[in-house]
Amino acid sequence: MSTISEPRRDGPVFADRPEPGAPRAYEFPAVTSRRLPNGLSILIVDLPGRPLVSASVVVIGGAVEEPAGQAGATVLAARALTEGTERFDAIALVEASERLGASLHAEAGWDALTVGVDVPADRLPAALELVAEVLLHPTFPESEVERLRDERLNDLLQAQADPRRRVEEAFVGTIYASAAPYHRPSGGTRETVEGLTSIELREAYARTLQPARATLIVGGDLAGQDVVALAERLFGSWNGDDGSSGPASSIVDSGTSVGRLVRVVHRPGSVQTEIRIGHRGLPRRTPDFHAVSLMGAILGGLFNSRLNMKLREEKGYTYGAGAGFDMRRGAGPFAARAAVNTDVTVPAITDMLAELTRIRDTPVADAELLAARDFLIGVFPLRFETAGAVVGALGSLAVHGLGVEELVAYRSNIEAVDVAAVEAAARTHLHVDDASIVLVGDVDAFGPALEAAGLGPIVIERDEVVGAAGPLTEAPGPLDEDRETGPTAGAEEPEIPALPDEPTGDAGDGTTES
Amino acid sequence: MPTTVPEVAFSDQRLDNGLRVIVAEDHLAPVVAVNLWYDVGSKHEVKGKTGFAHLFEHVMFQGSRHVAKAEHIALVQAAGGTMNGSTWLDRTNYFETLPAHQVELALWLEADRMATLLDALSQENLDNQREVVKNEKRWSYDNRPYGTFQEKLQGHLFPPEHPYHHSTIGSMDDLDAASLEDVSAFFRTYYAPNNAVLSVVGDVDSDHVRTAAERYFGAIPPNPDIPPLGDLSLPPTLGGERRETVFDRVPLPRVHVGFRAPVFGDPRLDALDLAGQILSGGKGSRLNRRLVRDERIAQDVALFTLGFIGGGSVTAGWATVRPGIAVSRVEAALIEELERLATDLVSEDELARAKALTEADELGALQRVEERADRLSMYSTLFDDPGLINRMLPRYLAVTPEAIREVAAAVFRPDNRLVLTYLPEGSNADDVTLPVEETAEQDDAEGVAA
Repeated sequence: MSTISEPRRDGPVFADRPEPGAPRAYEFPAVTSRRLPNGLSILIVDLPGRPLVSASVVVIGGAVEEPAGQAGATVLAARALTEGTERFDAIALVEASERLGASLHAEAGWDALTVGVDVPADRLPAALELVAEVLLHPTFPESEVERLRDERLNDLLQAQADPRRRVEEAFVGTIYASAAPYHRPSGGTRETVEGLTSIELREAYARTLQPARATLIVGGDLAGQDVVALAERLFGSWNGDDGSSGPASSIVDSGTSVGRLVRVVHRPGSVQTEIRIGHRGLPRRTPDFHAVSLMGAILGGLFNSRLNMKLREEKGYTYGAGAGFDMRRGAGPFAARAAVNTDVTVPAITDMLAELTRIRDTPVADAELLAARDFLIGVFPLRFETAGAVVGALGSLAVHGLGVEELVAYRSNIEAVDVAAVEAAARTHLHVDDASIVLVGDVDAFGPALEAAGLGPIVIERDEVVGAAGPLTEAPGPLDEDRETGPTAGAEEPEIPALPDEPTGDAGDGTTES
Repeated sequence: MPTTVPEVAFSDQRLDNGLRVIVAEDHLAPVVAVNLWYDVGSKHEVKGKTGFAHLFEHVMFQGSRHVAKAEHIALVQAAGGTMNGSTWLDRTNYFETLPAHQVELALWLEADRMATLLDALSQENLDNQREVVKNEKRWSYDNRPYGTFQEKLQGHLFPPEHPYHHSTIGSMDDLDAASLEDVSAFFRTYYAPNNAVLSVVGDVDSDHVRTAAERYFGAIPPNPDIPPLGDLSLPPTLGGERRETVFDRVPLPRVHVGFRAPVFGDPRLDALDLAGQILSGGKGSRLNRRLVRDERIAQDVALFTLGFIGGGSVTAGWATVRPGIAVSRVEAALIEELERLATDLVSEDELARAKALTEADELGALQRVEERADRLSMYSTLFDDPGLINRMLPRYLAVTPEAIREVAAAVFRPDNRLVLTYLPEGSNADDVTLPVEETAEQDDAEGVAA
């Protein structure tokens, strides 16, 4: 860099910010809805110019409805759907799907089981046939189920070694009562997964697969295609077992009531500490959903959120700090989170607690609220550029018994939230004094400072076993959450985008993001 | 069963100061993507200054003459937009997606920092972002199982004097050493309009965008003296197998492989991309079928290509070893499947499936204005040819079984192979039945990579 020209960079630049042009109205696309005699709901969204069609069957009923001793059965059952059907073995199925250029997928999370496909529009009928085959005629081959179970057990081992998965597991294990399914990962624990066979998977499948709890959503450029007739042909004969295996009576989502607890999972030599601070949160159908969304955006959802501005842009403690409610049918967790360099662990916790307190005790500034509102309203059309995004949003609503009207009203509902509503949401739903503080990091480095901070009773787990020589057999305790398992995440709110510090590129491309 | 991926029509002009402006109208949705690629990446970094291009990218969000620290992001978000930047070996890019009527905001923001970044530069902001980036390195690499893989891959596949030898995140020592003078010099050298491509895609009028681009960027002077990169050419292969064993905080061993591959843009890389799909794309792929499903010796497998234009690309992959399985067995099976591609032709059906998936992926990716804008900038910056956006898919669809065999024979060779084995800390290499000869070669590999 020796040949540097003189700056010469002082040409005229415009000091004044440009005025926006005239906005073009955006309306969420029209949705046609039907219901088949067997109870299956059908939502069809024609999106001219969107040739990659997305189709999804979302069935309410997920890991939250399974018996504690069979935890993980629903997630594994969904995974097994593509491992063999009456007509195809797994390889024949994937090859048939690939010949269509279709990506066929099946997964389950806390609240729903989903089978879906993305496919070029002209091949929708053939692809939807595969969806129906997978959904309605799986065979749960014992050998494949065993493999999936072993893979899950190995995945649990891997999760033990990954600080961010480890901290999520420890966090939910801390804030939920052991009777609540949310106490454990939706994919089950080592103890429960070890006992799963095709018998338990079939039970989970039978418990879940009720047409009256299912919604088929098809979106894309559907010109000339009679999707209703197609759906009748493929799903009309799907009959539910209306007898004993109805939905669970109610979701147990009780939290622990220990007050402030500090739990540390010791990770010797760790260069960062993963921090989670929070408590049992809210279900999706909380009446003040929109106020909570804005409060969460201001506190920890936006890049310019209070937490990120304090911990990243002011202090440089972290690559990104945030907070939010994971809204499920039951009350999912609320967490503030950051990964900070080890030597600032305690100051970072102090700052995070201070922000949680501040948003409860002081009304947000008008400008702050306006910026967050403008973002959530303005970004709405950007969220629905593809058929997959439209279908995904409708699917997440269906899980909660909500329809397209929720999306249609979204922007005016956000617009209506005022400072008082944000304050009320913070005061009602943030419980700083009862928030648990869960850490994965090198307690030998910050332990004395943590004690001196007097945050509450401290529990330290020194159970690190990773790296034990010889055969790898033992893995203690439960672990991570399978995120992104179906549309369970309340995405009817245009999702607050990933923080710019969270890499958005394809995994593995290694791009270094801002 | 070919489908049709819509052709992207675009205009392509240069301002007098050299800024290339590409506009593609799409009036389907009221959104617009603004995307700026600078022809500067980690390959432009010199010894002792690794990680600098990326640190600089962070500084680009710290304000300019008319924009305060963090205000760039605040303004875009308040306009209902999203934004980010990223750094890679061959480039640095910045991008915003917004409601279409806000297009000028993004142009103005990008122009203000291209013209006046240094007005807002301060030691405090640099120090702050240095700490953020160090935490990014800890989060993405150092505190992540197998997280050092990418650094080691580049370290082995490219010689120490080659700028692909080091990763974009750089080293902690070099980050600590970065000074305000470095930031100024880097900016003055590389952040000039004649070193950038601006692509705008979406619900806009082309004439309006070009006028606005002229208005906001037109007065920014070019830098006529951007120093050329040296000769980055490399021999096509490593010239010998390289091996390293890494003891890491991981519960399961993982065998990584890496190969030097043809440069991005070479049609042989198209064939290698399809080979990657055939080997590891989806559960019916060869590696999945054999290692994960049939023999059940691996927990997961991967194979992918990272395309670079300067001397060589990278093809890499891994297999995570199931408990109780000898690492050597997994390595042998992984390599055997790669080498089989070099001798036996893939079946027509296998190739047709890979192409159908590639086509559907392309259809999905190009639906998004953000992706289209990024591709236009990429093909312009790297190949001076934005029209590649419409010609890459036909190239993939034209790949033959013979072309795959040919590139596999050139790439998947023992003398072009890196084997990087991650073992659980505290385990004994002998217990996992590593090849005896490994220890000796490992020392050599570490010596070179250090």
